[in-house]
Amino acid sequence: MAVEIGDKAEAECKSNQEIAVTRKPIGYVIPVLRLLTFAATLSATLVMALNKQTKTFVVATVGTTPIKATFTAKFSHTPAFVFFVIANGMASFHSILMLVIELFGHKYDLKGLRFVIIPVLDIFTVALISGAANAAAFMGELGRNGNSHARWNKICDRFKKYCDHGSAAMLVSFIAVLILIIITAISILKLHKRNSTSYSTLH
Amino acid sequence: MGCSVAIFITIHTTHIPFVPFVLVFSLIMLKKMMSIFLLRLLALGATISATVVTLTTHDSRHVLNLTFKASYSNAPTLRYFVVANAIASGYSIIVLFIPSKNSLWKFVLISDVIVTSMLVSSISAALGVAQIGKKGNSHAGWLPICDQVPKFCDRLTGALIAGFVAPILYLLLVLFSLHNLINLLSAKA
Repeated sequence: MAVEIGDKAEAECKSNQEIAVTRKPIGYVIPVLRLLTFAATLSATLVMALNKQTKTFVVATVGTTPIKATFTAKFSHTPAFVFFVIANGMASFHSILMLVIELFGHKYDLKGLRFVIIPVLDIFTVALISGAANAAAFMGELGRNGNSHARWNKICDRFKKYCDHGSAAMLVSFIAVLILIIITAISILKLHKRNSTSYSTLH
Repeated sequence: MGCSVAIFITIHTTHIPFVPFVLVFSLIMLKKMMSIFLLRLLALGATISATVVTLTTHDSRHVLNLTFKASYSNAPTLRYFVVANAIASGYSIIVLFIPSKNSLWKFVLISDVIVTSMLVSSISAALGVAQIGKKGNSHAGWLPICDQVPKFCDRLTGALIAGFVAPILYLLLVLFSLHNLINLLSAKA
């Protein structure tokens, strides 16, 4: 009799342990995607912030001596690139913060607020980064092709390294936009599934 | 004729501060789906006006032997602005006709996020280029063009304001829809 009760208690204890083990699975898709976003936005920020090229040109020739002038191309000359650097910095901070919350934040109970705040912040960051990446891309396109109707000359034929580094940063930032949209979609679908299944199991 | 125009303008400028109050009041008091419908309708109006105003602005000026011709097709940024707002307005019209309590609404939420990011990107790029057109960029040797074609610049300012209001309304729409999604699901229990 005591053995039976003991067996039953042991079986129940084991099943409880199994439930406790399988209750909190950590999905690896979203943290990996957030790590990729962090890497992408951080590299875009750094590459664009350190983007600088100095070149000397022959401006005029007085007699036989050429007059040289030094021109610098920096990211801070264009407001769109400044916005690009700041927005990508904020997005990398957001990515690392969300990653830390998702991996180590299970201890703190925010009464279900956490599951809403994360998609909302993701939506804000998607809008910010898409605006920044696109503004920088169109500014870069203006620099590469110029605009003959407005008499704006292109600068990329003279500052090739500046343009190449800038376009690499923009490309990586566009990849970050894509990954952030995927993360937002998965978060919203997970929110829907979490709410619908938790209430269906209660009844 | 001048009197009637003046009266018209004064009536409408005194009504303008009331519009946000009416909007907030209706958003709080109406049912959730009605306020989402109203927001979408307003965003539709904003995107359509941004598209149409940008499409119809053109100005040209002959200075000696130079001809400054300004139109939306001369700047790739403004072309993207027109296309993005046209896509967003078409999407709004289609979504307005989806009946409520359909299972499509969670996918509508995700596509709302994508359309919001598209509108934000279009207005951001258009403002970047418009800032160069107004102030110029001395480091690159780009002169401002707004004093050459003032009519184009003024009308484009109006279109950019409409294009700026549209993604704000879409962002509010996404937040309302998210809140609606969570409340709807927790109200099932």
